[in-house]
Amino acid sequence: MKMENMLFSGPDPTKLEGLVHDIYSELVDDACLGLCFEVHRAVKQGYFFLDETDQESMKEFEIVDQPGVDIFGQVYNQWKNKECECPNCKRLIAASRFAPHLEKCLGMGRNSSRIANRRLATNNNVSKSESDQEDNDDLNDNDWSYGAEKKAKKRKSDKNQNSPRRSKSLKHKNGELGSNITSEPYKFSSQYNYNPGVNYETLGPDEVRSLLTTQCGVISEHTKKMCTRPPFPDAGATTVENDSFDIPDTQTLMHRLQWEDSPDISPADSASSKASTNHSDSRKPKKKKPTSGLSSGGVGSLTGGSSSSSSSSSQINVSLANKKKRPKLSAPLIPTIYNELN
Amino acid sequence: MSKESRMKATVNQKLTEMGERERLKELLRAKLTECGWKDQMKAHCKEVIKEKGLEQITVEDLVVEVTPKGRALVPDSVKKELLHRIRTFLSQHGT
Repeated sequence: MKMENMLFSGPDPTKLEGLVHDIYSELVDDACLGLCFEVHRAVKQGYFFLDETDQESMKEFEIVDQPGVDIFGQVYNQWKNKECECPNCKRLIAASRFAPHLEKCLGMGRNSSRIANRRLATNNNVSKSESDQEDNDDLNDNDWSYGAEKKAKKRKSDKNQNSPRRSKSLKHKNGELGSNITSEPYKFSSQYNYNPGVNYETLGPDEVRSLLTTQCGVISEHTKKMCTRPPFPDAGATTVENDSFDIPDTQTLMHRLQWEDSPDISPADSASSKASTNHSDSRKPKKKKPTSGLSSGGVGSLTGGSSSSSSSSSQINVSLANKKKRPKLSAPLIPTIYNELN
Repeated sequence: MSKESRMKATVNQKLTEMGERERLKELLRAKLTECGWKDQMKAHCKEVIKEKGLEQITVEDLVVEVTPKGRALVPDSVKKELLHRIRTFLSQHGT
């Protein structure tokens, strides 16, 4: 080793460089030789010219390099506007919609059974005699036009009452809730959020009470979904305007809270006025709202103790849902009223 | 043997012993394939074979025809990288 060190200790740079180049040349020659051996063997074994066939085929499959066309010479969306005849229903379907159409038409695919069940359920509710005779295929096959697709999607919420999801979410609430649902609330119910049939009016007082203690309960105007957020703790910060609503006196309050056959007072209202009492007790007015004194926050709407029409309550719920930034509400206060009652 | 040739022999020996030669060979082959040198050379070989005749072609013929072109066609980047690696090796293990 030391000998080598001596050898290199005073290297001649040009000589060193020459050496480097020599080594490089050797490596390149090696590579070329390797290639020659490879080619020669391929020639002698007969597989060197396999990728070349007769001139005719070569021309036919030549690589195409034109704009608007791929390398095989095919146009990109040639079949986009063509129509195919469905072998099942004999209709002319657009090519891009053909596969999903077939799925529904033949009754295979993931959603077809769900749609069929849903249709049956709806038809049973609406008109029993007709649905028995209708051809299910025709019913299922409503997706061949865009408008029909939209309709189908809208009716997505008409879910089967007995579907596992619904019954699961309803399990911890009253079982009656499922049976209380009429066809109307279907419009409001969401398949993702637990929904007590949306219509607060159809619920009994206990149900609404338990519902509102655990969840927000605001129903969105657009989606008709009920907010399932857990109730906020009362942080003291609120934008609720206390100016516009009256604090109902105890008697009115008790009367409202009694839930008897008082058609004037809807459960939603009672719930909201309950909540409103909570709010008024605990909140300090901070901001002036542009709208008519509606409080923010998830629970119930407040329009003083005065309005008891269901329309206003739904209005209130709606506008509540529309407001995005809400202060935290006093969930803990709600039980106190219940305690009072109890 | 001159000093130079002795030095050369030693270096070569070291290259081989440490496996660096093999590594460099593989590196070169990979880079040449990557940059398309191999395909170019194959096309050239085809021409030579067509010229000489499929049955009569020998290794020697190929080597004689192909090697000079091969040396010339190596891209500069590949050449530089290899030279650099060899120099590094020499500086690390030569001194």
